[in-house]
Amino acid sequence: MKRTAFALILAAACGGKYKAPPAQKSIALPTGAQLKPYDPAHPGNANPQGLAQVGDKVYATISNQYYDAAAQTVVNAGPGFLVGIVPSTGAQTLIDLGGSDEKQCQNPGFVRDSNGLLYAPCSGNFSGVDSGRALVEVDPAGAKVTRRAAIPDGRVPNGVAPGAAKIWMGDAFSLQVFSVDRATFTADPSMAALTLDCPQTPKTGFSYVADVLILYGDLYALCASDIAGTLFRFDSATGAAKGSVAVGPTPSEMSSTFDGRVAVINSGNNTLSLVTVSGATMTADNKALTYPSGTSILQDLRSRDNFLFTVASGSNSAQKIDLTAKGGPKIVQAASFGDGSNPYNIFPLDDDQAIVTNRQTNSIAAAQWVVVP
Amino acid sequence: MPPFRAAGRLALLLAVLAEAPLAARAQTDGGVGETIEVAGERPGGSAQAPGAAGTTVDMARFSGEVRSAAEVLATSPGATVHQSGAPGQSASLSLRGASADESLILLDGIPLQGPGGGSIDLATLPAALLDRMIVSRGVLGAQLGAGALGGAVELVPRRATSRPSGGAQASIGSFGTAQVEGDFASGGALLGIQLDRTAGDFDYAARVPPEAPTFYGYTRQNSDARRASGLFRLEQRPAADTELDLLLQATAGDRGLPGAVTLTTTHSRSLDQGGLAGARLRGSAGRLAWAVRAWGRADRIELRGVQLTNDCTDGGADCPRSDERSSTARAEGEIAAQLGGRQFLKAIISGGEEWIAGAPTGSHRRPLTSLALSDDVVLPLDVTVHPALRIDRVGPDTAVSPGVTATVRPAGPLEFRAGWGLSFRPASFAELYLDQGGVAPNETLSPERAWSADAGAAWRSPHLTLAANVFWSRYRELILYQLYPPFRSKPYNTGAARIAGVELQATGSLPWGVTAEAAYTFLDAVNLRSGLEGHHLVYRPPHQLFGRLARRGDRLEGYAGLTFRSEMPRDAFDSAHLPAQLRIDAGAGIRAVGPLWIDFEVKNLLDDQTQQDLFQYPLPGLSLALIARARL
Repeated sequence: MKRTAFALILAAACGGKYKAPPAQKSIALPTGAQLKPYDPAHPGNANPQGLAQVGDKVYATISNQYYDAAAQTVVNAGPGFLVGIVPSTGAQTLIDLGGSDEKQCQNPGFVRDSNGLLYAPCSGNFSGVDSGRALVEVDPAGAKVTRRAAIPDGRVPNGVAPGAAKIWMGDAFSLQVFSVDRATFTADPSMAALTLDCPQTPKTGFSYVADVLILYGDLYALCASDIAGTLFRFDSATGAAKGSVAVGPTPSEMSSTFDGRVAVINSGNNTLSLVTVSGATMTADNKALTYPSGTSILQDLRSRDNFLFTVASGSNSAQKIDLTAKGGPKIVQAASFGDGSNPYNIFPLDDDQAIVTNRQTNSIAAAQWVVVP
Repeated sequence: MPPFRAAGRLALLLAVLAEAPLAARAQTDGGVGETIEVAGERPGGSAQAPGAAGTTVDMARFSGEVRSAAEVLATSPGATVHQSGAPGQSASLSLRGASADESLILLDGIPLQGPGGGSIDLATLPAALLDRMIVSRGVLGAQLGAGALGGAVELVPRRATSRPSGGAQASIGSFGTAQVEGDFASGGALLGIQLDRTAGDFDYAARVPPEAPTFYGYTRQNSDARRASGLFRLEQRPAADTELDLLLQATAGDRGLPGAVTLTTTHSRSLDQGGLAGARLRGSAGRLAWAVRAWGRADRIELRGVQLTNDCTDGGADCPRSDERSSTARAEGEIAAQLGGRQFLKAIISGGEEWIAGAPTGSHRRPLTSLALSDDVVLPLDVTVHPALRIDRVGPDTAVSPGVTATVRPAGPLEFRAGWGLSFRPASFAELYLDQGGVAPNETLSPERAWSADAGAAWRSPHLTLAANVFWSRYRELILYQLYPPFRSKPYNTGAARIAGVELQATGSLPWGVTAEAAYTFLDAVNLRSGLEGHHLVYRPPHQLFGRLARRGDRLEGYAGLTFRSEMPRDAFDSAHLPAQLRIDAGAGIRAVGPLWIDFEVKNLLDDQTQQDLFQYPLPGLSLALIARARL
C-alpha cells in the first residue's frame, strides 16, 4: 500500500501533467479613454466577461460599458474589445472589434476558440434591433477581426458554439438557437432556428438560451428559466433533435468532463448537474453536488482533467471540484476574489491554476486557492 | 479572529445574575419588606380584534434594557423579525410567515407605512416612548384594515396622565451606541423624546471564500446611524362625557447603508423623516358611543450614493440622489351601540387619500374609503362571538374582508378560541410605481389575497398563563419580483403559498419574584407557486424559541433570555440556508439612590460573530451597555 502511494506521488511529480507558468495575481484591464469611448464624458469600464485560450494567451471579452444614472441603465460606451493576456507576465494585446465605425460589435460577452480562431458574439444594447449585434471572427495571430456576421433583427446572441459547418448561438431573450454559416459567415434565416422549451412560471416567467456548446460533434443548448432548466442535444450540422433532459433551475453554463459527461451549473439552486449521454439517451444527476449555502450566483464552469472549475459572482468565489473524489464530486479548493469583485468567467491554466474575469473591478485575477477539507 | 471567545465573560455574567435572586431572598428572609412586581402579560388583547390570537407586550418588562421595537416584537410567538445589522439599521416584521407588507403596524390605531407606501421600517419606531405593543395574529383585515394578512401590531404610546409623572433613561454601549429617552406627563399632556446613535462598527466573522471552513474577522463599515424621535399626546375632557385626544409623532434619521458582506457599500446613505398627527373626539350618550377622528402621516426618504450594481460617490452627475415622499390623510367616524345586554354593534366609516411623490416613482394619488361593521355577541354558556365585515376601496380596487372570532370560557381560567378571516392587501405605491435602479414598476398589479383559520386554548390564572394556537392560511396573487430583462426585476401577482403553524406561550411567576416566560413558534411555510410547489418560503424559520427569566425588585433586578431560530431557507429551492442562530442576552441592575437605577446589559453573550440575517447582512457579536434610568 505504501509502495503504491509512493509510486503515485512519484508519478504525479514527474508524470508530465502540464504546469503553466505562475500567473500574475491580478492584472488590471484597459478602461476609460483606452477603450475609445464614443463620448469622452462617458468613458466605459472594461467589465470583462468571457475567456478563451489560443497559444500562450488567454483572451477576454471587454464589454466596455457604463451605468447611465439618469436613464437607469447600462450603456455601451464604445466598441467591444478582446484583450489577449499572457497570464504569467500580464502583457496585453487589445483587439478592437468595433469595425470601421466602431459600432459593429458592442458588448461582447462569450468567446470561444476553434481551429486557432476566436469567435465572439456581440449582444449590442439588448434591444435586438441595433447594429452593435454581431458575430466576429478574430485571428489572434494578427490581432484583428477577420470576418463579421450581422445578427438578424429580433435576436440577441448569448453563447457561441463553433461547429464544423455552423457557428451556433443562443438568444438571450427567447428560446431560439440560431447559426451563422461558417463558410459564408452569414446568418441563417429565422425559420432555420432551433427552438428550445423548458418550464417557466406561467405568464410572468422568463426563459432564454443560457449557453450553447459543441461536444463530440453534437450541439448542446441550455434552456434556462426562473424555475427550471433543460439540456438539449442536436445534430450540429442539420439541427436535428437528438434528445433532452431536465437539469437544475436557471442553469448558467456547461462544459464537457474528462469522462465524457456534460457538466451544468444551476444558479437557481446552487447545484451541479452531471449528464450522461448514451446513444439516444440522456440521464442527469441533478444533485451531483450542492454548493455550500454561502455560494451564490454560479456563473461559469470549465473542465480540465478530472477537475471542474466554477465561479460564483454573488459570493465572489471560485471552486475547484474533483470529479473523482471518494463519495462523488467534491469541492477540494476554493478562492475568493474580494468583496465586490463580481467574478464572471473562469479559465484553468493547468490543474492547479485558474484565472477569472472580475467584472466589477475590471481585472483578471488568479485564484489563490485554499484547501477545502 | 475567532468568532467565539466569550467563555470568561459568560461565567462572570452568570455569577452576577445568580447573585440577584439570592440577594432578594436574603432580604426577604431578613424581614426587609420588598415589593415584588410581577411583570406578566397584561390581560386582554386588541380592542379592535377581540378574540384574535394575540400577545400583549408590556414595555415595562424591558425597563433597564436597551430594546428596539424589533427586539421587543421578537419575543412574541408568531413574530419573526429580520434585522439588517447594527442597531439603527432597517428591520422588518413578519407575522405568521406573512411578508412585512402583509403585517400591519398601527400607532394608536393609525396605520404606519414606509416612504414607498409599504411596510414601515421597525428601526424608525421609538420603542422607549411606547406603553405596550399588542400583537394580533391571523387574517384580520375585517377588524384592522386592508393589509393585515399575517396580523397586526398595535403600538400604544405612553399615556398622558393628569398628575405629573415622567422618566428618563440614558445608555451607552458597544460600537459607539448611545440612547437618551425622556418623557414627562402632566395635566393630560405627554411629551417624550428619544435620541439614538451608533457608530455601528462591530466586528463580525465570515467565511471567505464561503466554501472554505475558516472564518476571518472583519469590522463593519458605513453602518452608523442617528435618529431622533418625538411624541406628544394630549388627552382632555372638554365635557363630562366627551374626550379629546391629540397625537403627534415625528422621527428623523440618518444612516449608512453598509451592504451585504459580499458587496459592501461605503458611500451609500439613507436620510429619512416622518411623522403623523391625529385628533380624536369621542363621547357617549346613553347606550351609544361615538368617535370622530382625523389623521395624517407623511414620510420621506432620500438615498445618496446608491447605484444599480454598487455604491457611488454622492454629488457626482453619475450618482444622483433619489427622493421619495408618501403621505396619507384620512377621516373616520365611529358609532357603537349596546343592544340589549348581550350585543355591542359598531360601525366605522372612513375616507381619505394617499399620495406619493418622488424622482423614482413620479406623483400619484389614490382615494381610500372603507366601511367596517363589527359586533360583539355574548351567548349563553359564556360564549362570545365577534363577527366583522369591512369593505375597503383602495384606488381602483374594492374588496370585502369578512372575519369572525369566538371565545368560550367553560370553567375557571380555561378559555378556548377560534377565528377565521379573509382579506386582501392592495399593491403598495412602490410596487406600482417605483422605477429605480434594478426595480421596474407594474401598474397592473392586483391585490394579494389570503384567508386563515385558527383555534387555540388558554389557561389564565394569576400566576400562570399558558396559551396555544394552531393556524392554517392560504395566500394567492402574492406580489413577487421577477427578472425583467435585461437587468431589472418587476413585481407580478404570481405567488401562492400555504402557511400553517403552532404558537405556544407560557408566562409564570416563580419564587423570589422571578418571572419566567417562553414563546415557541412552529412555521410550515410552503410555496404553492407554479413550478415551486412543495418548496419552503425563504427566510421563514420553521422553529423559533424565546425564553426569559426576569426579576424585578425594589433594589435589584436582572434578566437572562435566549432567542433561538432554526435554520431557514435562503433560496426558493431549499438548497441554500441561513444557519440556526442562538442568542443569549442578560442584564442586571441595582437601584442606586432614590428612583435611580443603574443597569448593565450584555447582548449576544456567546459572542457569536458569525450570525447573519437577510441577504447576508452580518449581525453584531457581543455588545455591552450601561444604562441609567429613573421614573417618577
